[in-house]
Amino acid sequence: MTVKQIILIITVACSLLILPVNAIAQNNVLPVPQRIVSIGLCTDQLLLMVARRSQIASLTTSSTDQNMSYMAEAVGDIPLNSASVEEIIPYKPDLIIGSHFAARDTTRFLRQLGYQVKLVTLPRTVEEIYGMLIRFGEWTGNQARAAAIITRMKREITDIQARYAHRPEKSTIIYSPNGYTIGSNTLENDVLKHAGFRNLSAEMGIVGFKKISLEQVIAARPDFLQLDNHVYNRNSLASRYLGHPVLNKVVNEQDHLFIPSRIRACAGPMVTEAIGYMAAKR
Amino acid sequence: MTFMSIPDRVLLAGLGIVLSVVFYVALMVGPVNIGIGKAVMDFLAEESSMDSLILFDIRLPRALLAMIIGATLGLAGAALQGLLRNPLAEPGIIGVSNSAAFGAVLVFYFGYSNFAWFALPLGGLLGALASVVIIFALVGNSKSVVTLILAGVAINAIGGALIALALNFAPNPYAMQEIVFWLLGSVANRSMNELLIALPFVLVGWGLILYCGRFLNALTLGEETAISMGFEVRRLRWILVIGVAACVGASVSVAGNIGFIGLVVPHLIRPFVGSEPRRLLLASTLGGAILLLVADIAVQLLSSGGELKLGVITSLVGGPFFLFLILKTRNLML
Repeated sequence: MTVKQIILIITVACSLLILPVNAIAQNNVLPVPQRIVSIGLCTDQLLLMVARRSQIASLTTSSTDQNMSYMAEAVGDIPLNSASVEEIIPYKPDLIIGSHFAARDTTRFLRQLGYQVKLVTLPRTVEEIYGMLIRFGEWTGNQARAAAIITRMKREITDIQARYAHRPEKSTIIYSPNGYTIGSNTLENDVLKHAGFRNLSAEMGIVGFKKISLEQVIAARPDFLQLDNHVYNRNSLASRYLGHPVLNKVVNEQDHLFIPSRIRACAGPMVTEAIGYMAAKR
Repeated sequence: MTFMSIPDRVLLAGLGIVLSVVFYVALMVGPVNIGIGKAVMDFLAEESSMDSLILFDIRLPRALLAMIIGATLGLAGAALQGLLRNPLAEPGIIGVSNSAAFGAVLVFYFGYSNFAWFALPLGGLLGALASVVIIFALVGNSKSVVTLILAGVAINAIGGALIALALNFAPNPYAMQEIVFWLLGSVANRSMNELLIALPFVLVGWGLILYCGRFLNALTLGEETAISMGFEVRRLRWILVIGVAACVGASVSVAGNIGFIGLVVPHLIRPFVGSEPRRLLLASTLGGAILLLVADIAVQLLSSGGELKLGVITSLVGGPFFLFLILKTRNLML
């Protein structure tokens, strides 16, 4: 037996010993994270809802934006970051949470540096929001709180649907700057369904986000219009697009659905508010 | 080119007929099929049906805007070619359109257009005016095509860069991607509001240019001759410049920079009117309207989502035409 072979055997033996230990460490014995940093607006809000305050080391600067963040009031004195690696490291995070569309360079770099990074995928149904909350509960060690939120959401949705069950189904189109609409396979579509609306864009065969012309909106004759004009100022052609006078003629202004950005911007328990608002308008 | 000068009345009537046909076609073309007869009946019965909404709120403003802007560009091209006594002069090529777009961008994206209805076209006018003044300072009375074109290249480049710079600092998140609109132009999804905003400036501009028709005729014989014929050259030149700036500035401020119409149209019309710039003006106005309407119909037929910008079509046609003109006037340039 050569020295080389001996070394090889020892290496293999060692790795066999270490592997299971590693696997255990990753799956079961994971300690509850105590210094969680969020690097996205949506995960900011989910953290505030699901995790205990003491676990949160930092949220993004947009978390305090009253327009965009549903949980802006709850941020209080939690330190803020702007999702750059340099700012995140000093918090010595034991868990970094962001959205799947977070800057890929940032998350890759953080992983290379040995940090634990978890990314949330964008839910496309209310059911997937429940799944996201369960995962969030597991990651942060708050399974019970996540379950409680899900129970409350389900109860709220059942209540809303029962309250407005007598009202007939109505049709609507979501119309965003530059003429983009939201079709099937999106959370918005599922929220409309829960609120008792037919999404005419989905019925046109549109999947995801796609442009449709003003003429198509008129031809579709929706009962309601949801204009998503939520940018800070309207000084762009994209935003003015939704100011076209014909849109007020197709659907009376009182039948325009308006869901504030703080509810719409992210998927989370706040969808029940959107469902309630729309169902009441129906 | 052979001249087969046609009486004004016949030429204008012919162009008018073509224009009304093209205008009607423009009203028929769109992503949704509508009945024009039904739309008009519903409109008269004051019933807002799908057909009447699409015809009167979407297609009519679009077609009218295309017509008026095309007319403006045709007229301005003819006027600039006469004024600079240069066959390659055109609002787009000499940088007037880009400068107008810069003026409009400043007003629009930084919120000044909310103060008064005339702020936007005024911004376009001032931008356009600045560039014409610079062109005059650079080119002066030199008949050199090269100087004019090079000055145009420079002003165009500066204008484009300033547009990008302004959009970059604009507070609205959509601003930067809208550079395509300003550089290539479009009349899609515009309403009567845009038409009404631009119209007063456009009409004043047309009036000023047409007022100078006889002066342009005299100018073909040289500046001294024009003076000896009793024309106040300095004053009339300013009137022309302000006229061009007003109508081009207002047009660009609601539809962006649509290139080459002003170059192509006067050259297509010239064989029919002979060498009289004054006669060229009205005919080029109608010709420009026809050409831009045709371009806008093409845009709608080629792209269902309305993605294609007007300038793409007009440049694809006008660019090669420009090259052809350069070849033709090469002797002049050397």
